[in-house]
Amino acid sequence: MANEADQNFNTEEAAVDTGINAEAEVYGNTAGNYGQGIAEKRNAYSDSAEYIEPQVENYAREAYEHKFSLTDQQIKDLSKKKISKGELKRQSVLLIISAIFVAYGVLFYYLPLAGWIMAFQNFKLKTGLLHSKFVGFDKFKFMFEFDMFSHALETSGSIFTAFKTWVNNVVFVRTIRNTLGMGILNLVTTFVMAIVFAILLNEVKNKLGKKLVQTISYLPHFLSWIIVCGIVHDSLSSTGIVNDLLRWFHIVDDSYNFFAHPLWFWPIVAFSNVWKETGWNAIIYLAAITAIDPSLYEAAEIDGAGRWGKIRYITLPGITPTIMILLVMNIGNIINAGFEVQYLLGNGLVQDVSQTIDIYVLKWGVGQNDYSLGTAAGIFKSVVAILLIVISNNVAKKMGQESLF
Amino acid sequence: MKMKKFIALGMVGMLSAATLVGCDKGGTTTVIDDGGDTGTTVVDDGGDEGSTSATTEKEYSEDEIINWTMFSAMPGSEINDGNDIQEIIAKKTGVRVKETWLTGQTAAEAVGSILASGDLPTFIDGGDGMKELYEADALVAWDPYIEKYPNLKELYTDYEWDMFRQEDGKIYWANVFNNTYGESKATGHNDEAFWIQVRVLEWAGYPEVKTMDEYFDLLEKYYAENKSFTDAEGNTINIIPYTILCDDWRYFCLENAGQFLDGYPNDGSVIVDPKTMKIVDYNTTPTSKKYFAKLNEEYNKGIVDKEFATQTYDEYIAKLSTGAVLGMVDQNWDFNYTVTPIFATSGLADLGCEYVPLGLVVDGVTEQRWHTYGDTVNQSSGCAVTTSCEDPDRAFQFLNDILNQDIHDLRYWGVEGVDYLVDEDGLYYRTQEMRDKLNDTSYKASHVCNYSYMPQWLGTSRDGKNAMQPAEQASEFYAGLSEPLANCFKAYNAGGYPDMIGSVEEDVNATHPWFPMWSWSNELNNDTPGGVAWGKMGETKHKWLPKVVMASDFEKEWASYMDAYSACKPEDFLNEAQGVLDDRMAAYEATK
Repeated sequence: MANEADQNFNTEEAAVDTGINAEAEVYGNTAGNYGQGIAEKRNAYSDSAEYIEPQVENYAREAYEHKFSLTDQQIKDLSKKKISKGELKRQSVLLIISAIFVAYGVLFYYLPLAGWIMAFQNFKLKTGLLHSKFVGFDKFKFMFEFDMFSHALETSGSIFTAFKTWVNNVVFVRTIRNTLGMGILNLVTTFVMAIVFAILLNEVKNKLGKKLVQTISYLPHFLSWIIVCGIVHDSLSSTGIVNDLLRWFHIVDDSYNFFAHPLWFWPIVAFSNVWKETGWNAIIYLAAITAIDPSLYEAAEIDGAGRWGKIRYITLPGITPTIMILLVMNIGNIINAGFEVQYLLGNGLVQDVSQTIDIYVLKWGVGQNDYSLGTAAGIFKSVVAILLIVISNNVAKKMGQESLF
Repeated sequence: MKMKKFIALGMVGMLSAATLVGCDKGGTTTVIDDGGDTGTTVVDDGGDEGSTSATTEKEYSEDEIINWTMFSAMPGSEINDGNDIQEIIAKKTGVRVKETWLTGQTAAEAVGSILASGDLPTFIDGGDGMKELYEADALVAWDPYIEKYPNLKELYTDYEWDMFRQEDGKIYWANVFNNTYGESKATGHNDEAFWIQVRVLEWAGYPEVKTMDEYFDLLEKYYAENKSFTDAEGNTINIIPYTILCDDWRYFCLENAGQFLDGYPNDGSVIVDPKTMKIVDYNTTPTSKKYFAKLNEEYNKGIVDKEFATQTYDEYIAKLSTGAVLGMVDQNWDFNYTVTPIFATSGLADLGCEYVPLGLVVDGVTEQRWHTYGDTVNQSSGCAVTTSCEDPDRAFQFLNDILNQDIHDLRYWGVEGVDYLVDEDGLYYRTQEMRDKLNDTSYKASHVCNYSYMPQWLGTSRDGKNAMQPAEQASEFYAGLSEPLANCFKAYNAGGYPDMIGSVEEDVNATHPWFPMWSWSNELNNDTPGGVAWGKMGETKHKWLPKVVMASDFEKEWASYMDAYSACKPEDFLNEAQGVLDDRMAAYEATK
């Protein structure tokens, strides 16, 4: 939006300038006249802007007084409005505050992006960012090993099998699969569990019990992953509670080694996430539920809705905007499927399904002194995250739901 | 409302308390900081008069003493400011060095962040990050000072010094370990071995165990009759006959026994055939296959720990500490420093749970080199002076001074009369009371100052009688042995751990001048095809070796492993190794 407005302004100004140039050429005016010309044109331009000003000002005031939102056209007009000096002075404090934030953003978010250059170099500490050798896309080629794909395609002839060999044989591609796989699994499970938990908790009528359950259920959120993984590892070990129970009920004769089987790894990670975060994530839904107008429930009751009916027709639609916003935000986070859990619970036997992009960065980037490779993997991650969030945002918009931008 | 808040608070408290209880097995590093180091007076017990009377040295006053820092990329425990012996050394040398250690990162990460901050310590041992320090021009060359200071020059022969030279032809660091002065006094085996609990040998009547088959045979027989035992506190412990650690980088306990079983020394990453001077890949030798087939067989018999592939290092140490595990392959430094003190305090040592090393081979091999005689020079890391030092000459003078016998004794033996006594033959000894005191962490922090990552000696003291370091003093070694262990040594007529192994006694530097190849392979990274292959080989082995051991059909699994292994292009790695070997041999021939 802001960019668009900027562009409009620039083209208009450019048009004005070309006009002046044309005039200057036709009349062969001196430099002084040329300047005068600009001043005149500018005045005319700002006059026309001032002309719409009172009207635009009214939009905002009326909207504020009568509590209705502005139409798109009105917002457009407002954004075209030129800011007068008086306005600047009045808002000087706000401007200073926002300038600080802009400076902060530039300094800590935009400037560090210059480091991305590292991904296209063979970065060495001795030579630094400025003097390291540029190698183009070599680091990306090293990560993706596209020749493996094309070779498999040639030998097998089918894209599907080629893709399969590629994923199975190239470490980085495998880590992408694991990251996305675990990310989606975590998202779905934690998301659904949090909503279900919030709704169930909301139905509890005993206030003390409700608060107690809520407090206890969000406590695991404050444990660090290293402790949670220790607990998970211990309870699933041969002498842990899970195997004790399995033996007790004669489901297994000898203890089952959960961490030795690749199939179990993703579910274990998802379960750990659910256990740790459900209570915490439910807080926001509980808050959204309390904001629902109680009269709606009363009305539903009069119409004959039972508990289930009220959940389905009042509670769920009531928290849908919250759900959508959180979903869009969390989808961008899919690519951050985690580092600690996989790093702490993984072992050699399950490494094919346990390693995420972050572990790849640590092992092959930092661990091998190959910071360029680490940066390249990081860039890839950022690009995927941006793609994910833009796509999900657009989908949400299309569905007529709340969206981030 | 308030009540509810209190309940919530109480629960948080309980939870965090439970958390703390859960981790009380972790390290207990107690550093008692008794304030600043200014104006600390050293309690002079009159003990050091004996040593100062021999040489009349200048005593530095507090104003003259320079305060420097050192970072070692290894976990360690910090000593207190105003540490007794540190102060004595400061007065004698005019330098006081504050040591800091690695906490919660890898060496490379720590060195990386030090370089990025530009805040260099005066002295540094960067471990695996040494090369980065050199590449960032952060180190001062030793060359001019080696000639100037005799104690430093004495550390290594010219050939050994040359091994430390970097691409620009200069020496930037010297490794401080594994360096023997005069005759070796070594009683320990600080290398890899098949370890076995003393009680198993005792039970079998101290038999000769020479081959891998005999070893597992013994474990099987013992386990058939002893499924569990009762420890000193009356708990029943189920016995695990054999476990394998394969957690992350510590998977050498699973992976490299093949080279030893064939009779070769620990080159770490490859075998070097001394006859042809060719590199051999031990991952694919028939012996290695035999070794993994044996492990597979024992796994299916239930002798190998079912959980070995998924246990973490902490779980492994916990298992060992209960005395449950009868045997395993490991490096001494990887478990014994933790496990032995636990055995001593829990009474398991008296039950014969302590481990002795065995030097095993496969049938047909007669010699073995599990124990390395002679000093292994690890030229890939060491003590260095950084460019942040304003007076490098003074720094090297200090490194020279702390190698003087009187200061070396102070560092390792302590203050005479307080930490050790001298008998009429001039031999140093400690009373049990002194030993106990020196085992106390808080006393150690306020009294002992090893400067353990600065130049030092092993072997015989310059007086020709004592050991440079107390751990190697024969009387100290025997005084600390538990009864079952002493009986075992007696039964095998062994004077110490190396005799238990019975490796070929040869000076490794004379017979294996390239040794060890791991000092090269540890430094590999993505820069070369060999380095990339090395990384991939590691990943493949991490996955496949446990699978092979746990397979129901060994031959089939081994074939799949070999396919996956050859896909990593090990030949790139082996060719580079051959190149390095040839270079090292050429350098060696040149000095002859």
